Amino acid sequence: MIESFKHLEEVGAGRDLADVFLEVDEQEHGIPGDQILAALRKRREVMRDCVARGQNGGLSMGKLVGNEAKKLNEAFAAGKTFLDPLTVKAELYALAVMGENSRMGVIVAAPTAGAGGVVPGMLLALEEERHVDPEKTVRALVVAGGIGSIVALSANISGAAGGCQNEVGVATAMGAAAVAYMMGGTTHESIHAAALALKNTLGLVCDPVGGLVEVPCVKRNALFAVHGLTAAQLALAGVESVIPMDEVVEAMVRIGRALPRGLKETAEGGLATTPTGCAIGSRLKDEANQRRAERAAERERVAQERKSAH
Amino acid sequence: MGPVMVGPSSSHTAGTARLGRVAREILDEDPVEVHFFLHPPLAATYRGHGSDFALVGGSIGLNVDDPRIPEAIRIAEQMEVTIEFAEEDQGDVHPNTVRIEIRGKTRQAEIMGSSIGGGVIEVFKINGFQTRFKGDSPTLLLFYRDRPGMISEVTRILADEAINIASLYCSRKQRGKDAFMEIDVDSPIAKSALERINAIPDMAEARYLDRIP
Repeated sequence: MIESFKHLEEVGAGRDLADVFLEVDEQEHGIPGDQILAALRKRREVMRDCVARGQNGGLSMGKLVGNEAKKLNEAFAAGKTFLDPLTVKAELYALAVMGENSRMGVIVAAPTAGAGGVVPGMLLALEEERHVDPEKTVRALVVAGGIGSIVALSANISGAAGGCQNEVGVATAMGAAAVAYMMGGTTHESIHAAALALKNTLGLVCDPVGGLVEVPCVKRNALFAVHGLTAAQLALAGVESVIPMDEVVEAMVRIGRALPRGLKETAEGGLATTPTGCAIGSRLKDEANQRRAERAAERERVAQERKSAH
Repeated sequence: MGPVMVGPSSSHTAGTARLGRVAREILDEDPVEVHFFLHPPLAATYRGHGSDFALVGGSIGLNVDDPRIPEAIRIAEQMEVTIEFAEEDQGDVHPNTVRIEIRGKTRQAEIMGSSIGGGVIEVFKINGFQTRFKGDSPTLLLFYRDRPGMISEVTRILADEAINIASLYCSRKQRGKDAFMEIDVDSPIAKSALERINAIPDMAEARYLDRIP
């Protein structure tokens, strides 16, 4: 088992990072490398499907979001975007995945569903724009997963445990390391890409409006997909994180503990308790109560019908 | 990487669906009635994140990537399964913790567990026994009368079958009374081996659960 990023730096020096993780999985869990690669090929396909479906738009469960990818795609197709295509696509694909997620579509948790747009946004945009072999993307998913699993040794990967830093923060670190890998970076550079990315998300709270994975989650995934690309860029240029990745993770855990409960997914603080957030929250509650009442009435009606039929 | 799943939250849909599924697998028959007791932070967020669909979906046997999860409550109603949600403080546990009581025509089961993120779960109570079930490997769940030699008799059978034990955990309600053993193994257990374990004197029930998808 790889116990820390320091340990990864030692065993992964001068080696292909995906190979390192595949070997460990084979030793630890007895799962052959080709089986893991096949499973991740499937994940990449699900991500691609999700990105394609997500650009059609459609309202989310709470009707707060859902058409962001559609709008950005239309602007991009019409030549009305000003950023470079890689950046636009990273945002677009992250938005598409999160749109699907908000409609309860099938997605890949990466590492979670609420942060599931960041990794596919970064990796699939890079694959297209820099003509990366799809098989390299599959291996980059091994790297992303491996980075996430080392973080998970010391941190719970959920907004409820430590705020959004534990979700989108970790996703951004995983994606940054994977992008550095895809662009030919070393193990050292991948680890520093992860550290730079994660460091800059520390303190990020989880304050979903109405308790839904919609606001600010959907757009946040897009913005952090871009953030992850920039972290990888710095690391590939030789910029290092002064604080080693293991210590960044420790800091994240400590900050997560210090965050009040209201900023850890409970929808009892932050954006969720702004005037607009509260108004949306109470509307959603009313609608849910109404639906429940309708369901109860329907059940009652069916029961009555059964009774009279007897 | 995390699982392929139905959105919108891996803690609230994938993990909770798996917790529901654990209850269903331990019950080992179609449920008639399922009660979910949600720890306060989960009770505050479960509807928005679709945990209600997911818990119900898992408890009627759906997988986390089953596109019918959003319809699970309606499907359960069609199956005439009674579903109840309530808030219940579970003490000093992970925010996303739930206790599930599930009843079928002939059997009933109870579990308590947490969804800790990325679809990962930790079940720490099964039918009143302390445990540490994660559902990520094939597992034996043994209910028996506490007495000397039980562990060695069970592990002898596993050794005969060349099955490697990854971890083993025992607990009991009272010395010499109801006891429980959880054994996580590296490879599937054949029916014949399970029959041998079930035939051990004082074994009330030996259940084999495959990895919870």
